[in-house]
Amino acid sequence: MILTSKILARLVAIVLLGVILQLSFFSQVWVFGVSPDLLPVLVICLGLLGGTMTGAVTGFWVGFLLDCLLVEPLGGASLVLLATGYLAGLFRERFEIHSPLVPPLLCMALTVFAELGFGAVELMLGIDTSISAMVIRDILVKGLFAFLLGWPIYLGLRRILRPALVEEQVVRRRRRPTVLGA
Amino acid sequence: MYRKQVRRRRAVLALLIIGSFVLLTITYGQGSNGVQRGVSAIFSPIQAVADGALKPARDLVNWFDQTFDARGRNSRLQDELRVAREEAVGKSAALAENAQLRKLLELDRSGAIPSGYERVTGRVIARSPTVWFSDVTIDAGSGDGVRVEDPVVNGDGLVGTVSAVTGGSAQVTLIADHSSAVSAKVVPVAVQGVIRPNVGDPADLILDFIDSTKHVHKGQPVVTAGWRSQEIESRFPPNIPIGEVTRASIVVQEASQQVHVRPYADLRDLDLVQILTGGSRG
Repeated sequence: MILTSKILARLVAIVLLGVILQLSFFSQVWVFGVSPDLLPVLVICLGLLGGTMTGAVTGFWVGFLLDCLLVEPLGGASLVLLATGYLAGLFRERFEIHSPLVPPLLCMALTVFAELGFGAVELMLGIDTSISAMVIRDILVKGLFAFLLGWPIYLGLRRILRPALVEEQVVRRRRRPTVLGA
Repeated sequence: MYRKQVRRRRAVLALLIIGSFVLLTITYGQGSNGVQRGVSAIFSPIQAVADGALKPARDLVNWFDQTFDARGRNSRLQDELRVAREEAVGKSAALAENAQLRKLLELDRSGAIPSGYERVTGRVIARSPTVWFSDVTIDAGSGDGVRVEDPVVNGDGLVGTVSAVTGGSAQVTLIADHSSAVSAKVVPVAVQGVIRPNVGDPADLILDFIDSTKHVHKGQPVVTAGWRSQEIESRFPPNIPIGEVTRASIVVQEASQQVHVRPYADLRDLDLVQILTGGSRG
């Protein structure tokens, strides 16, 4: 990702809007008894578009903001989301995204990873009570929502961040001669 | 050049991971700190505006969810569903809000809340996205007289306790949060215990450490006991309704000293709540 001040401002706006939307809307709606989690999807899509560093850094700041606003111990969500963003970025750097199914499938898998990560951090900090089996259902349904949200968010972010995407620049340059014919 | 870039990337990643652990170590178990209070103070008005603007969309999505959910219930709940539908279709948002306030008023009048407590009404403006934390942010804070450890109720019963406060907002840890423990008793048998959550299922609480020689039965109400032990962090006034016993097998009671309780308050769909400020504190 080519980072300019304009792109940085867009990334900051995306992160802020994402966190506010999550807390004010997605966390308060219930579909099949589960509320969708937008933030891992956002971080995964940014990782898929920008690579490991973009994924990890945005994951860290999304987590930090989330912990600040929910007055949770700082660092827990940052750790989980930076790992999620990094893994998404790693996928982008190692493999080509040929199929439109790849971003939503990756969103689903990594959201499940992130939700398990939140649980692992909680267990690490100590839960002194029983855990319901409903947690598993919650995580799986959140993964399903991530699959549904993944493609539109990926497309939307690609559009917003297009000037900064290295691949898009290459595609544009390649396409120029074909305008004349071929 | 490439190696330098890789090294720089690794350094940033290591820095972020170390930063996360340092933040976690410094802030764990401290409640709110200066950074969180500052960020929260900046974002509270934005969240309040976003909350208001997104309420109709939220209500619409939740209406669909509630409808699907209600289809799977038994005939007793079918009647409640019909009433809920009538409410959803026929009443405006203002009327629904009015009903919530009336319920809060009824709770006041019922004498469940002892004298000496000031009531501050707040609206939920944000809630935790993960199943591991059950807490909400409300739009009333220290400026309205809200303090940490103040009990929070809604028209149905106990909701939770205030865990952090900023000028214009407060964090409420719900009774379904893993860190919550509330001293409670089953009435009329006066069996005492501690209400603990069943993480991941906000509609199921566990009344733990009960006296196994006294048997508790399904349908019996559970209210706050009003005492405090070393393990319990906050004090609730006695006799605030919490929920009713849903599963109370004698075998389980004798073996594990536990019964299951369904909270009266719908902890997943909170809107207006009342914070009980003042009162006696330990």
